[in-house]
Amino acid sequence: MKILLKAFLLTAPINFAYAAEGQKSAGLPQMDIATFPSQLFWLVITFSLLYLFMWKFVIPRLGATIEERRDKISNDINDADNLNTEATDILKKYDEQMASASQESNEIITNSKKAMLDHLETLKKENEEKVNSLISESQAKIKAQEEKSKIEIRNATLDTVKAIVSRYIENIPSDEEINKKLN
Amino acid sequence: MAADNPIDPIHQFEISKIADIQLGGIDISFTNSSLFMVFALAATMALFVIGLSKKSIIPNRMQMLSELSYNFIANMLRDQVGDQGRAYFPFIFSLFMFIFFCNFIGLIPYTFTVTSHLIVTFAFAGLIFIAVTIIGFVKNGLGYLRIFYPSGIPIFLAPLIVPIEIISYLSKPISLSVRLCANMLAGHSILKIFAGFIVMLGFLGFAPLVFLVVLYALETLIAALQAYIFTILTCIYLNDALHPDH
Repeated sequence: MKILLKAFLLTAPINFAYAAEGQKSAGLPQMDIATFPSQLFWLVITFSLLYLFMWKFVIPRLGATIEERRDKISNDINDADNLNTEATDILKKYDEQMASASQESNEIITNSKKAMLDHLETLKKENEEKVNSLISESQAKIKAQEEKSKIEIRNATLDTVKAIVSRYIENIPSDEEINKKLN
Repeated sequence: MAADNPIDPIHQFEISKIADIQLGGIDISFTNSSLFMVFALAATMALFVIGLSKKSIIPNRMQMLSELSYNFIANMLRDQVGDQGRAYFPFIFSLFMFIFFCNFIGLIPYTFTVTSHLIVTFAFAGLIFIAVTIIGFVKNGLGYLRIFYPSGIPIFLAPLIVPIEIISYLSKPISLSVRLCANMLAGHSILKIFAGFIVMLGFLGFAPLVFLVVLYALETLIAALQAYIFTILTCIYLNDALHPDH
């Protein structure tokens, strides 16, 4: 800044001298009334031409283009909105279908589960009955076998006793007597 | 002669004749000022002719630029004036583009800044002032005089307020024109002075050079800003004429 100030102070007299000289010759060019008619004349001509150009050419065309674009954009937005509502409708339908399908499948699952359980239950019952009958049958068989064996043992014992006794004694005891003794 | 001095900051504002034209004793020569008015006209035309050559839904850069300027001014007018301002859109748009290009072309070295001349800005401001006053009286009749007495002011303040309002109304064209002209004049003069320092200081010239670069950026901003201010003030005056109650 010091340098600038120095430079200004050094050159100031020259500048002022030029300015003064300029003033002597013409003053500020802005104040030269002689140039006013020419400036105004050409300003009127150029600005009128510009105004006509803007009014007749630029504004209608630009306005039309901008309007056209605005229409296109609003149309596109409308289309997009329509498509959007369509898509949401489809999504809704899809959701509904999904919901009914899942309900159906749930029903099928519960039904088949129930059927399966029922089947299982009947099978279980049948088997139990079978098993029970088999058990009782076997028990009966075992009992019969037991009885049979008892009788057989007794008979065998009877025979053995008779044989032994017949060796030593002439008088063979009757079966009742032996049975009495055995018991 | 000052005109021959390369570092005279005022030299750039001098008007020199290119073609001498006299009409009924009035000098309407084609000057450098007229030339740069034609340049501003040509630049605006070029922008829109190129921008509108291929009207497409998806704009290219030049079309984008022309549409941006269109929308910028259209929005400004709608915000300031409302739908009634529609009729004045061609004028407002032309005004902005003309001043904008005059200011910007003037930033190029060795060019002439049309808007640095008070008579040009005053012609615009005067035209706007007269037009706005006529519009005000046509649209509102004598009711337009209400703008000199804002509603809600106590009656005993009227002798004070009304003259102030009248003076402020009458000074509108002066402030409007001087603001633009003075900004251009001062900015370009300072640019020229600092450019002169660079030459005079020799190798020390880099200091003013740095300053000049910053100043040039500022002047670029001012060129756009002053065009904007001039246009938006025109919109505000127009709004006052159309709705004097507000």
